[in-house]
Amino acid sequence: MSRAAAHPAASPGDRSAGPDAPPALGLWVDRHFRRLIVAPAVLVLLLIGLFPVVYSLIVSFQKINRRVEDTSFQGFDNYARLFGDDRFWESILHTGAITVIALPLELVLGLLLAWLFLEKLPGRQVFVALLLMPAVMAPFVAGAIWRLMFDNIFGPINQILGWIAGEPQNVMWLVNNDPFTVYGAILVCEVWQWTPFMFLILLAALSNVDRSLLEAAEIDGASGWRVFRRIVLPAIRPVVLVALTIRGLDLIRLFDIVWALTRGGPGNMTETVSVFAYVKGFERFDISTTAALTFVVIVSLSIMLFVLLRRVEIGR
Amino acid sequence: MPRGRTAIPVMAAATAIAAALPAHAQTAAERAVEAAQQYSGSTITITYEAGLQALDPLNFSGPMWEELTGIEVEVIEIPINELFTKTIAEHRAGTGAYDLLNIVPAWLPDLVEAGVLEPLDAYVDEHGYRDSLQDIAGVYRDNQMTYGDEIYALPDDGDVFVLYYRTDLFGDAEHQAAFEEAHGYPLAPPETWDQFYEISQYFTEALAPETYGSALIHAPGLIHYLFEERFRIAGGRFFDEESMDAQIDSDIGVAVLEDMVRQLDNMPPGAAGWGPIEVLNAWLAGELAMQIWWPPPGRWSEGYGAEQEALSWLPETTVAGDVGYALTPGGRPELAAGFALSVAANSDNKEAAYLFAQWLNSEEISLQRVMLPFALRDPFRTSHFESEEYRGLWPSAGDYLDTLKLGAETGLLDLSIIDTFSYEESLTRAITSALAGGDPRSALEDAAEEWDTITEEIGVDDQREAYSIWAAKPNAYP
Amino acid sequence: MSRRRPQPWYTTRQGWTGAARLAGAIVVTIVFLFPIYWLFATAFKTPEEVFASPPVWFPQTPTLETFAVLFRDGDVSAVWNSIVIAGVSTVVAMFLGTIAAYSLARFRTGGDHLVIWIISQRMIPPIAVVFPIFLLFAGLGLIDTYLGLILLYTAFNLPYVIWMMRGYVEDVPRELEESALVDGLTRWQVLIKVVFPMARTGLFATAVFTFIFAWNEFIFALVLTRTEVLTFPVQVSHYFGQQQTFWAKIGAMSVLGALPVFVVVAMAQKLLVRGLSMGAVKG
Repeated sequence: MSRAAAHPAASPGDRSAGPDAPPALGLWVDRHFRRLIVAPAVLVLLLIGLFPVVYSLIVSFQKINRRVEDTSFQGFDNYARLFGDDRFWESILHTGAITVIALPLELVLGLLLAWLFLEKLPGRQVFVALLLMPAVMAPFVAGAIWRLMFDNIFGPINQILGWIAGEPQNVMWLVNNDPFTVYGAILVCEVWQWTPFMFLILLAALSNVDRSLLEAAEIDGASGWRVFRRIVLPAIRPVVLVALTIRGLDLIRLFDIVWALTRGGPGNMTETVSVFAYVKGFERFDISTTAALTFVVIVSLSIMLFVLLRRVEIGR
Repeated sequence: MPRGRTAIPVMAAATAIAAALPAHAQTAAERAVEAAQQYSGSTITITYEAGLQALDPLNFSGPMWEELTGIEVEVIEIPINELFTKTIAEHRAGTGAYDLLNIVPAWLPDLVEAGVLEPLDAYVDEHGYRDSLQDIAGVYRDNQMTYGDEIYALPDDGDVFVLYYRTDLFGDAEHQAAFEEAHGYPLAPPETWDQFYEISQYFTEALAPETYGSALIHAPGLIHYLFEERFRIAGGRFFDEESMDAQIDSDIGVAVLEDMVRQLDNMPPGAAGWGPIEVLNAWLAGELAMQIWWPPPGRWSEGYGAEQEALSWLPETTVAGDVGYALTPGGRPELAAGFALSVAANSDNKEAAYLFAQWLNSEEISLQRVMLPFALRDPFRTSHFESEEYRGLWPSAGDYLDTLKLGAETGLLDLSIIDTFSYEESLTRAITSALAGGDPRSALEDAAEEWDTITEEIGVDDQREAYSIWAAKPNAYP
Repeated sequence: MSRRRPQPWYTTRQGWTGAARLAGAIVVTIVFLFPIYWLFATAFKTPEEVFASPPVWFPQTPTLETFAVLFRDGDVSAVWNSIVIAGVSTVVAMFLGTIAAYSLARFRTGGDHLVIWIISQRMIPPIAVVFPIFLLFAGLGLIDTYLGLILLYTAFNLPYVIWMMRGYVEDVPRELEESALVDGLTRWQVLIKVVFPMARTGLFATAVFTFIFAWNEFIFALVLTRTEVLTFPVQVSHYFGQQQTFWAKIGAMSVLGALPVFVVVAMAQKLLVRGLSMGAVKG
C-alpha cells in the first residue's frame, strides 16, 4: 500500500511508454501493480476473517469455559457435546422454520407489490421511496418497533384486533407458550422489513423483461397467468434466485430482530443459531463449545456458499 | 500488578499504627474519603444498570465523590441483561476496563469461581469498615456478602418482595362485612396463598373489570423468584443433598405450580404474561386490589419524586394514601435479585475502587442514595429503616420501612450456585408452560431432568459444594 | 436505461384501472409505514400518552421533551459515534475496495477463486467471528475505540465494495484507460484520474449501502463497545430494562438514527436497485 501510494510522487518524470528506462522502483510497482492494489483489502480480510476461524478451530479442541481453562487436546468432546445438545438442533430448526416461511412470503408479497407498481402511476417514485424505508432501518430498531406494536397493553395491534372482534383483545404476542403468536410476531417484523427489498428488485427485473417475448405470446392468445408463468417468470428467474440467496443468507444468521423482540424466548422457543451462539458464548461463557459451534457454522455455510455461488450468478 | 499485592500488607501495618490514634472519631465514609485523596487525579470506572439506576452515580454520588477526593468516576451503563455477560467477558479478556462492579449477589459463585472478584476482607479491615457492615440488615449482610468465608461484595440494595394492598378497599366496612360473611374470617392482608386466592376472588367478583383482585409478575426472567419463594415455604428442597438430584418436581413443587396457575383465575385478562411494568401500571391506575413487587412502588404510589424528570415515564398515581404494605403470604418473601458492589480482580485501581464502594455503601451516603427519588436502590441498613428523615417522606413511610425491615429479617435468598442462570431458565420454561395451560407435573419433571443434566455437566461434586455453601446460609431455607 | 424501448411490455395489460391501482398503492404504503409512524409518534408523546391503554394514535400535545432529554443527558453522542464510525469506515472501505476491485476486474488477479473467497467473507455470520474478535481486540486495546469498530466495519464491508465495484469498473470503457496510458499516465494515475471519476455513480451508490450497513450494524457494536463509542442501535438497546422500558426514548433515538438514512435513500433512490441486488439487477 505505502509503496503504491509513493508511486505517483516518484512518477512525474516517469514515462512508461517513453524510450527512457523508468526508475527501478517504478518498474517494480508497475509490474506488481495489480497485486499491490489488491493486497491491502486481502490483508484486512485475512486479519479479520481468518483469525476467528483459526481461533475457533483450536479452542474447539480445548476445554475453556467460565470455570476451567484447560488447553490440552480434548478430542471431539466439544463437538459431541454440541451435537448432543437439543438446543443446538432446536436452534437450527427455529432458524430453518423462519427462513422457510419468511422467504416465500417476502417473494410473493414483493411480487404482488411490484405488479401493483409496474405500470405508470402518479407519484410512483415517491411511493417507492416510502415503501423502501423499512428496509433501510436498523434491524434492531425494526424489532423494537414491532415489540411496541405487539405490546399487549400499549400496542395498537391488540387494539385493532379488538375493533374487529368487537371486544377488547389481550393477546400476549411475545410472551406466550403458543408458538403461533410468538413466531407470528417475528415473521411479521421480518417480512415487513424485507418485503420492500424483494419488491424493489423484482420491480426492476419486471421492467426489464423483453417486450418482444410477450408479443409472441399474446399472438398465441395465451392467458395472463400463462404468460406470467411461461414467459415472465423464466425471464426474471436469475434475479429472483439472487434475491432469494441474499435474503436466505441473511435469514440464516438472523439475530437482531429476534434479540429485540424475544431474546430467543420464551424459554428457547425462538432461539436462532445466532442467538444460541451468543447465549452460549457470552452468557454461559462456554467458550469451547461455542467455538465448536462457530466452526460448524462456518464450514457448513462455506459449503453452502460454494454450491450456491456456482449456481447463482450474482452480479455477472 | 505486583505493586498492588505488596501494598496491602504494608498499608495494613500502617493503619494498625493509625488505629491506635483517635481515628474512630471519623465515620467510615470520612475514612474512605481521606484514604482516597492520595488517588486524586485518577479515574475509576463503575458498572451500573443502564437507565434509572445509573442516575445515582451519574448525577449524585459520582460528582460528589469527585469533589471530595479528586477521583473521577466514569459510569459504564450496561442493560441488566448484559451485565453478567459484559462483566465476565471483560475479565476474560483481561482488559481491566472495570474497577468497581455492580453484581447481583446470586452470581457470586460464578464470579468468584471465575476469579472476577477481588476478596475484600483486607480492605475492610484496613479501612475500618467492619463495624459499619454490622448495620446492614442481616439477611443481606450474612448472605449476599460472602462466598465461602471471604467477603467479595458489599450488599448495596434491599431488594425484597412486598405485598401491596389497597387500604381503602380492605378498610371498607361493606367489603369487610361481605367478605367475612362469605369466608368466615376478617378481610386482611393474606397470610396464606389460599387466603390470597379468596381475597382476590372476592374483589374480582365484586369490582371487575374496574378493579381486579390481584396481579403478579409473570415475565420470564422473574417468574422463577415467586416459585422459589413458595416452593421453599411449602417445604420444598431444590436438591437432594447427597445425590444432587433435582427435587423441584416433587409433589410440593407440583402443588405450588398448580396453585400459581389457579391464582390466574382472579387476575386481569392476559396477566399470565405480565411483567413488572404492566403490573405497576395497573396498580398505579387503581386497577388492582393487591400485587407483589420490589420496594419502589411503595414510593411511587405516594407520588414521591413524581416531579422528577427522570420519573416522568411513570404514569400518575391514583392510589396515593391508599396503600398498605405486608409480607407476602407465608411471611418469607423472596429477596429477588438485588445489587452488591464488588471490586474487579483485574482492576488497576483496586484500592480507590474499594474506597469508593465503602463510601457509597457507608451509613450516611447510602441513606441519601436510597432516598433518591429516581434511583432504584432500596433501604438495606437498619439505620435506613429507622431513619426519621425517611420515615417522614410520606404519611405511611414508617409502615413501609417497618415492612421492609421485616422482609429484611425473614427474606429468602435467591438460589445461588454454579451456573444458576441455566437452572433458572429451565425452571422458567416449566412455569411459563404451565401458566399457558400445560400440565404442571410433566413440565416440572422435564425441568428436573434438565437440572440433572446441567448438574452432571458442571460436575456433581463441584455443584454439591456450591450448593451446600448456599444451603447452609441462614435464609436459604425457611 | 441503456436501450430505448418504444413501449414497455406491461402497458398492454389492461387489468386494473388507474384509480384502483392508485388506491391500492396508497393503502399498501400506509400499511407499511404505519409502524414507522407509530415509533415516531411515540417519540413525541407525553409520558401519559406513551403508557396509555388503549394506546393513543395521535399525540395530542406533541412534545420535544424526550429529544431534549436525549440531548441533555448526552445520549445523542451515540448518533455522532455512528456518524464517525460509519463515515470513516465507508471511506476507507470504498478506497481499499475499489482499487482491489479494479485489479480483480481488469487483471483477473487471483482468478475466480479469490473473488469467491472475498464474497464468501461477507456471508459469514457476525456471531461466528465476534467472540474471537473480542479477544483479539481486547489484546490490542481496541475495544470501545473508534479505531476498533472502524477497522472491523471496513473489513466487514470490503467484500461488498469489491463485489459491487468490480461490476462498475467493468462498465468503464477500457479504451479510455488505454489512451490515458498512452498519454503517459502511470497505472496509479489512470486508476485515480480516469477510473474513479468514470465510476463515480457506482462509487456513490456503493458508498450509500456501505454506510447504511455500518450505520445499522448491531452485534459487533453490542459486544465491542462500552461507553465511549456506543452506536445508536446499541444506545436504543439500553432503553430496555428489566423493570422499565423507556419507549419514548426508544422512539426518539430511533428517529435520530433513521432520519439520516431516509434522507440519503431519498436522494439516491435511482441507484438503489443495483446496490441492493448486489449488482444482479442493473436497474
